[in-house]
Order: sequence, then structure tokens, then C-alpha cells
Amino acid sequence: MIWMARVLAGPVLWAVLFSAVYALHGAGCHLGWSDRPLGFTDLHHAAMWTVWIGGLLLHAGLVVWMPAGQGRARWIIVAGTWIGLVSSAFTLFPVIVTSTCF
Amino acid sequence: MTDATQQGPGRDAGAGVLPDGTAIEAADIAASPPQRALVLHRQLDKVWRDLPGWRGFFTSVNHGTIGLRFMATSFVFFAIGGVLAMMIRAQLATRDGAFLDVELYNQIFTMHGSIMMFLFAIPLLEGLALWLLPKILGARDMAFPRLSALGYFCYLFGGTVIVLSLLFGVAPDGGWFMYTPLTSRTYSPGINADIWLLGVTFVEISAMAAAVEITVTILRCRAAHMPLTKMPLMAWYLLGTSVMMLLGFPPLILGSILLEVERAFGWPFFDVARGGSPLLWQHLFWLFGHPEVYIIFLPAAGALSTIIPILSRTTILGYGAIVAAVIGLVFLSFGLWVHHMFTVGIPHMALAFFSAASALVAVPTAIQIFAWIGTMYEGRVTLRLPMLYVMGFFATFVMGGLTGVMLAMVPFNWQAHDTHFVVAHLHYVLVGGFVFPMLAAVSYWMPLISGRWRVAGLGEAAFWLILIGFHGTFFLMHLTGLLGMPRRVATYPGDPEWEWLNLISSIFGMVQAAGFALFAFDIVMQWLFGRRSWRNPWKAPTLDWAMPLPAPSYNFASLPGPRQPDADAILPLARGEGLLPGAPRGWRETLVVEPGSGRPQHVMVLATNTALPVATSAAIGSFFAMMLAGLYWLAPLGILATLIMAWRWGEIMGTTTDHPPAEVAPGLSLPLHWQVRNTLAHTGAVALLVADATLYASLLFGVGFLTVVAPGWPAPETGFGPWMLPLALAALAAMAVSTVIAHLAEARRDSAALRVWTLAGLGAAGLGLALLAPLALGLDDPTRHARDALRGAVVGFAVAHGVIAVMLALRAHVDAVRGRIGGDRRGALPVWQLFQKFWLATSIVSVALICAQEVLA
Repeated sequence: MIWMARVLAGPVLWAVLFSAVYALHGAGCHLGWSDRPLGFTDLHHAAMWTVWIGGLLLHAGLVVWMPAGQGRARWIIVAGTWIGLVSSAFTLFPVIVTSTCF
Repeated sequence: MTDATQQGPGRDAGAGVLPDGTAIEAADIAASPPQRALVLHRQLDKVWRDLPGWRGFFTSVNHGTIGLRFMATSFVFFAIGGVLAMMIRAQLATRDGAFLDVELYNQIFTMHGSIMMFLFAIPLLEGLALWLLPKILGARDMAFPRLSALGYFCYLFGGTVIVLSLLFGVAPDGGWFMYTPLTSRTYSPGINADIWLLGVTFVEISAMAAAVEITVTILRCRAAHMPLTKMPLMAWYLLGTSVMMLLGFPPLILGSILLEVERAFGWPFFDVARGGSPLLWQHLFWLFGHPEVYIIFLPAAGALSTIIPILSRTTILGYGAIVAAVIGLVFLSFGLWVHHMFTVGIPHMALAFFSAASALVAVPTAIQIFAWIGTMYEGRVTLRLPMLYVMGFFATFVMGGLTGVMLAMVPFNWQAHDTHFVVAHLHYVLVGGFVFPMLAAVSYWMPLISGRWRVAGLGEAAFWLILIGFHGTFFLMHLTGLLGMPRRVATYPGDPEWEWLNLISSIFGMVQAAGFALFAFDIVMQWLFGRRSWRNPWKAPTLDWAMPLPAPSYNFASLPGPRQPDADAILPLARGEGLLPGAPRGWRETLVVEPGSGRPQHVMVLATNTALPVATSAAIGSFFAMMLAGLYWLAPLGILATLIMAWRWGEIMGTTTDHPPAEVAPGLSLPLHWQVRNTLAHTGAVALLVADATLYASLLFGVGFLTVVAPGWPAPETGFGPWMLPLALAALAAMAVSTVIAHLAEARRDSAALRVWTLAGLGAAGLGLALLAPLALGLDDPTRHARDALRGAVVGFAVAHGVIAVMLALRAHVDAVRGRIGGDRRGALPVWQLFQKFWLATSIVSVALICAQEVLA
């Protein structure tokens, strides 16, 4: 089952990141983080960016270091890591380009 | 003879290793000597056949019988749902339609959607999976035959109640997604909504049973040395489906429970005036509802990936890419439920998240479409009847997918929301992505089901009627939708420009209905009058055709092994040259393998014919019936009856003696499942707890969601007072002690003090449960505010799991007393441990959550 865990690692990380950013989004709006300036942005965006970028780095690590096995077994693991990376990059990209609580 | 079981207590005896510790490789498995096929057939048939007559109906647990029943029953409900659809089309054919009044129209469109979704689509895929999986994987039955039968009777009873409600004029009428507050007690005072909530939840027991069953069967009941990376694609699709069911159904079940509790007892989860939110229902519903589309699509896509290469006389293109696409779909489909809620007023950020995810999910879908087209391009397509339905799938589903991408874009969604454009889209996706492939599948596998070949011409005529009727009906709905016609209206007197489009839709709707009737007629004719089919009529390489026609109850006289990987092995397998030939011990046996590699691990002895499943479903049904009748004070009797039945399930499991290992092949013997730890039951318990954890996570999501959307929560009154925290900590301590004892009991199962250990564990678990009671009673009135209602739900979750843990502890103690534990025999100990850990972990989170609320209040 280690093979299956490797295949699922990328998509699972996407699910975790998606949930974390979505939860941060709701909690930040409730706590008024978007009204608290932080550098060139606000606390709300900064928190979500941090989680997202940290997650992308983890994804990149999976893509580079995790694949194992040979032939079809390796190919499916590689595909799984890229599915996770692309999904996280694409679906969470809106955290940097859209407004938050309205 | 090599004996793989000679290992000491505490080890997982015979777990796919030879006595010297090396793994069982394919080369270690020799061919069994050939025997007379007829003798083997008689021996197996005696053990595996159903009882004759009505006794057989109530006692059969065989996957072939139950799977066919599921499929036949689902087609009956499909016919009922289809008649309702025709009534809808009759009503909408003219703008002042007087065929139905508004009240009845509401019931009919609600019932049409509910029947097609919950009583047709899901049960049909369950039935197909139950019937087909052991055949393509090289097994004799599913992992839990009694669970299959239980699921069927829950489906039959629940579905019957839902349909009968229509005859009595009390059918659900709030739309198939039952939005609150329309379905709350204030606006739906009758029992219509209760029938949906209780009936669908009753039916969903069958879905959860099937999900556990399918997951475990695919992972553990494959042919020896069939690795995951080489199993048929259909199995990959069904594995994805079953995992999605384990994760997708719990939010719906939770939502239904919460709404029914609100309606019955006034706990305000969705009532805005008391801190609830109707959007919580929408979130929970669509957390299920959107993955549901893919739950339906994946088995259909599996059928396509099976049929297309065979009828194109080639092999599938891009096996690895398709597996990766399935995995991507399984995950991504859980990230786009909010696209059903784009117009409810949610923040821009969430709109953007879910719009992006909705667009992205088209990618893995497209990969599969291209793989299928590429396969057809590489091969030589023969336009037999199943292939016609495949073509119908392409023509229909691709259009549905494209309109899906359109609807994923927020600005377009705002324009088309709740119009007939959406009705057209969902029918293109569901009929194109499920019904056409399923009709292809039925046409393809009918010779294996009936042993007969179809009557020429009828099927083709039915196909063209369905295809033309469908597109004539639903293509025009895109136009009526773009013209602004809303869904769920019975008349449209002020909008004559919609009338001719609706009239044409209705006419084609009748053509489509005639096509489905002809399809059913074709099946009946084939069954009754078709000529006998020859073996493997499609020249398929898959194991499902490596058996006589029609498929016998035991599937294979001997199980496929490394030397019998495909349909060419039909004669050697019938002569017993595979693994586990015949039924020499008079038991229903199948092989259990290691999940990844497929190395054989042990032999599972499966349940035989029993009426326990039907009795258990009747007990569960009694609870739902009393709730439906408003006899809430009697409903606990239904729970008690269910617990008694659950106890009976454990009674006929286990063994008091050590059995010798079973000879699987010359030189290779494996232990029976009673004498290993990592049994199918253990894997099934893990799968069930995954679903259970999802339900709990959904409950926590509800707490979080209401916390951030409901302003001004009141401070607790009695709250979590000073005496309650020590009580909660004492309960957690008792749970922790019983968890430790469960481990110690297994570690010391050979000792004379075993009974003392299990008794102590039972006492500790019972104490933990008892300490939860005053905790539950000490909380604020749950009808006061959503916060209090959620607290009640969280504590109720802990109490319910406490009851299960105590029952399992009692089961373990009785196993110890009766001598079912000792040596390699562990009885109920491993499953008890699992539930104890789960109960402890979720209870710790619940107590921490309630404490945090106190601190933050």
C-alpha cells in the first residue's frame, strides 16, 4: 500500500491546502483580518498566501523526490504528484488576485 | 506440502509469506491437477446455490443474485421515474397546462429527481459492481455477502416507502435537493419532507454498505498476483467510485439527520432566528451532491473503458493516464460543490476558488475521452449494439461537459442559474454520462447474465428512439433556458414564446419513453426467447468471460492464478487447474490477497444463505417507520431491535477450534481467515471508519461554518460548568483505559487471565459511556440556539459511538468466554480496538471543542 500512498500524496496535499485556505478565508473574514494592514497587503491575504506558497513548495518537493518504482507503477506516481501541484496552483491562484470578504 | 501457517501467536500467520519468511511469488504456485469439470460443478453448486422459491428470495447472499436484484429493482424504479417525467412533459407541453395542479406537480418533479438519483442511478451502479466485480477480479463472491443482502433490503424497503408516498399524496415536494427553509417544519408541516429525509437515509445505508463492500473486495479479493497496476480498468473506476461514496455520502447523511432532528425536536441547525443557517444545508447537501455526479459517471466510464477496446478489437490506449485521470477526478470533484451555490451571495474569493476547480475538473474527464477516441482510432470498430450506445454517449456527454464548463464560469452561471438551461445540462451529463453507458453495459453483459443472445433488430430500434428522443427533448431546453424559463414552474401563461419549444420537447420526450420501453422489451425477449449464446461472444480477454454462460453462482470452479490471467483460461479453470479448486470442505471460500501486489495471504470462508440481512433491515426499518409516524418515544425500540440483530451477526462468526490450513495449490497452503489478524472484516472496519470520520468532519465543518456566519451567539447559560470538565476528563480517561486494555487483551490472548482483561475493558468502556450521560444532560437546552444544538449533536455522536464500542467490548468478552480467542484466533479484538481508538480520538476533539467554545464565549 506504500505505492498507493505515494500515488495519493499529491492529491491529498491539494485537498489539505484547499481546505486550509478555504477555512482561513472564512475565519479571516469573521475575525476581520482583511481590515488589518500588513506590509503591502493585509493580514488575511498574507495568511492565505503563506499557506498556499508553503503548500506549493511541498508539492514541488513531492514531484522531485518522491516517485519510486518502475514502468507503469512509477508513471502513475509521477502523474499523481503533478495532479496535486497543478491543482493547488490553479484552484488556489484566486487567493492572490481577488478580494476576500465580499 | 509447503505450509505457510507455521508461525507463532502474535504474528499475522500466513500473510503471503512462505515458512522461511520469503514472499509467495508467482513461481511458487504450481498448477493443480486437472479434475472432471462436472464433478467440480456439482460440488460447488451444492455449496453456493440459493435456496429454492421464496426462501431463496429472503436468504440469498450470493453476489450474482443480489447484484441482479439490485439492477432489476433499479430499472423498475427507473420506469416509475420515467412515467413521472412524462407527466412533467405533459404538463409543460402547453403554457396553461391543467394536467397537474401545482401541489401535485411539485411532488412529481421532486420525486422524479429523487427516484432517478437515489433509487435508480446509485443502486444500478451498486448492482453492476456487486454482480461484476468478483467476475472480473477472479473471485467467487464479494467480501461481505451478508452486507450485500442487507443493502438490498434496505434499498427495497426504503424505496418502496418513498414511492408509496406518491400514491397517498404525501410525497416530498421541496425539490430533490430539499432546500431549507422551504423544507423546515414551518413551511413543510406535513410528513412529505420526513419521507424524503428518512426514506433516503434508509436507502443510503445500502450505498454505504456497497461502498465498504466494493472497496474491500477490490483491494483484497483479486486473483493471486494481480497487482493494482494490472487489474482491469473497471476495477480502478469502481475503486474510485467506492472511495468517493465513503467520503461523499456522510455529509448528506449528516445533513438529513440534522434536518430531521430540527423538524422532529426543534433543534435549530438551519433556523436563522436561532443562530442556524439554511446555507449549512446547501453546503452539506452539495458536499455530497457534486461528487455524486462523478460517483455516477465513474462506473459508467469503467464500462466504456471495458467495452470500447473489445469492440474496437484492440487494447485500451493510456492505461496509466486513465488511472491518473480517475485519481484526479476523485479528488477534484470534492473541490467544486459551491458551484451549485454561486447565486446565494458568497464572497468573491470563494466564487473564484470554486469556479477554477470546476473548470479544472474538465481536464481529467477530457483525458479519458481522448483515450477512448484514440483507442477507437487505433482499432477496428465494430458497430454492434453496445457500440451504438457508446456513440450515443460521445454525442451526448461531450455536449453536457461543454455546457458544464460554461456553467462553471460565474458570470454565465448567474445568467443561467435555475433555468431550463441547467435542466438540459444536467440531463446531458447524467443521461449521456450514465444512462447510455449503462445501456451499453447491459447489452454487453446480457449474454453472461442470461446465457442467451438477443433478438436481432429490437435493440437497434430502441437505441435510435432513445437517442433521437433524448436530443429532441433536451437540446431545446438549452434554448428555453436561455430565453429565461425558470425550473420548477407548472405553468407559464405570461410567456407564450416558450410554448412551441416546450411542446416539441414534450413530443420528443414521448419518443424517448417509447425507446426505453422497447429496450426493456428487448431484454425480456432475450431472456425468454433468445437463442443460447456461445462462449465469450465478444472475444473479450477479461476474466468475466472465463466462465460458463450463464455465470454459475460460484463463478470459477477454481480461482485464476498467475497462469490463468485472462479469458483463455476458461477450460483449465473449469477443470480445477487454478487455485482452491472445488469446495472440498463444504464451505464458501475465496482467496484474500495483499492489497498492492496481489500476493495470496489467506482463505476467507464466506457466509452462506441466511435470513439475517432481511431481518436486520426490517429492524432498521422499524426505527425509520416509528420516526415517520411521529412515534418518537417508540423509536428507541427500533434502535434496540437493530442492536440485537447486530449482535446476531457476530454470533455466527468466529470459531472455537484451530482449523488446518487450506490447500490453495499443490505445495501451497494458507490459513483460514479466523486465524489471521488482517482479515477482510478488519479492512472493512477501517473503510467504515473512514466514512465515519468524514461524517464527524462534516459535523465539525458545521460548527465552524455556523460560528463564522451566525452573528452574536449567546453566552452559555448552564454551559460547561466547573463540575462538567472533570466529568468529561474522567470519561476520556475511561475510554483511554479501555483502549489500552483492548490492546493488552490481544497481546495476552493465550493467558488464563484473558477473560479478566476483556471484562475490565468492557467495564472501562461502559464507565466511559455512563460518564457521557450526565455530560449530555448538563448542556444547555439544544432547542435554544444553533450553538447548543451543535453541542448536543457532538455529544450525541460520542454517545452513539460509545454504545458501539461497548457492544464490541461485550462481543470480545463473550468471544473470550466461549474460547473464540487464543493462539492465532483473535475474535472481535482487532475491530474492538479500532472502534475504541476512534471513539477516544473523536471524543477528545469534541471535549476540546466545547471547552474552546467556553473560553471564547
